[in-house]
Amino acid sequence: MAKDKQDSKNLNSNLKKLSEITEWFDNQEEIDVEEGLKKVKEAVSLIKESKGRLKEIENEFEEIKKEIEPEEE
Amino acid sequence: MLNIGLKSSKAKIVGEVGEAKAGPTGHVYFTLKDEKDQSMMNCIIWKSRYQLYGVKLQEGMKIMASGYPEIYPPSGRLSFIAETIELAGEGELKKQYDELKKKLEKEGVFAEERKRPIPRYPQKIGVITSKQGAVIADFLNNIGKFGFKIKMIDSRVEGQEAVRDLLASIKTFRKRDIDVLVIIRGGGSLESLMPFNNELLVREVSGFPVPVIAGIGHDKDEPLVALAADASESTPTAVANLLNESWEQALLLLERYERDIIGRYETIFDNYKEIENELRISLGNFKNALLNAKIRIRDSLDESLSGFRTLLSKVNQKVIQAEKSIFLNNPDRQLRLGYSIARCNGKIVRRTGDTKIGEDIDVSVLDGVITSEVKNIKKQ
Repeated sequence: MAKDKQDSKNLNSNLKKLSEITEWFDNQEEIDVEEGLKKVKEAVSLIKESKGRLKEIENEFEEIKKEIEPEEE
Repeated sequence: MLNIGLKSSKAKIVGEVGEAKAGPTGHVYFTLKDEKDQSMMNCIIWKSRYQLYGVKLQEGMKIMASGYPEIYPPSGRLSFIAETIELAGEGELKKQYDELKKKLEKEGVFAEERKRPIPRYPQKIGVITSKQGAVIADFLNNIGKFGFKIKMIDSRVEGQEAVRDLLASIKTFRKRDIDVLVIIRGGGSLESLMPFNNELLVREVSGFPVPVIAGIGHDKDEPLVALAADASESTPTAVANLLNESWEQALLLLERYERDIIGRYETIFDNYKEIENELRISLGNFKNALLNAKIRIRDSLDESLSGFRTLLSKVNQKVIQAEKSIFLNNPDRQLRLGYSIARCNGKIVRRTGDTKIGEDIDVSVLDGVITSEVKNIKKQ
């Protein structure tokens, strides 16, 4: 339960960070290449992490659904 | 020897009583006078018989005596030994009947309040009647099949001789275990019913230990035995019906109770059916409620599942969006496309003013850095 909370918090904060990064790119008139590269690296890792977590959540969701479905007519 | 022969010469004599007197032993000596030729006959009636028939012999009384002749050996005198005596002629009979009735009435023998009720559900019945004739057949044909135990004593029921039989029968029944005593005979004239107007018999009936039912037919004057009995019916059939009555009522009651019980049971069953129906309806309602709850759960499950799916796809979409944006903004991509980044003294060269002729510029390309000298600056 605590782990789930942490995970969901992670996913949420990942999404928040990602949106901050994309916003940073959108608002940059003169791009700081070094900073941009750092952001890209961070974003790539965040995306990878988020995708993995999403996959996990999706799998878990399917498992739960299977548990419920046999009870239904 | 002669007397033995004479005893078989039974006869009935009707005549007017002449002198009548009781001897010291109680036997009564009297004369009977023939109406037509005034011829006389000496008669004797023994005390025991005289007391039996309730006829008080008086001069001028017309009677009928039945008996036999006998010679008194010491004097050779012929007398008529009367075995029974009774009044002869309707007028005399009526007079005797009325007198006795009046006397017994005064004593309260016929009083309603001293009559005992016929027991309900009688079983042991004592019957006094004559075996001959239709009376007993009528009685037996009409008595119901209620388990009666009928004991019958055959008795003469007509003529003065009947008095002795009737008294003996009643005495016998006194010692028997019976619930009710029945005395029955067919109808007849006052004369033929005279035994049933006998005082001794009337007293026996009124003092009998169990209730007595009389079924003695009559025309006008009800026999005194019938008046003294606890219940009186005109025919043997009616007596049988009276005995049947409580049993028949019980039968009717039983039938009514049976109907009542069945009726009540039916009501109970009806109630049960109603309860059962209500229960069925309640169960149906409960089933519906369960079904509704199930549907609601299913709906909310479906909703939350699809909601979650939407959420997942939204998140996915965001991630993809971010991925695209990062891809487009990646400086590496610019280098790959052939763009390069020039730096002078560590600062990115964006304008002509960011460098001077003769200064070194580091040009970053995809796979490394090229250092070059600024030879010329052309401002556009």
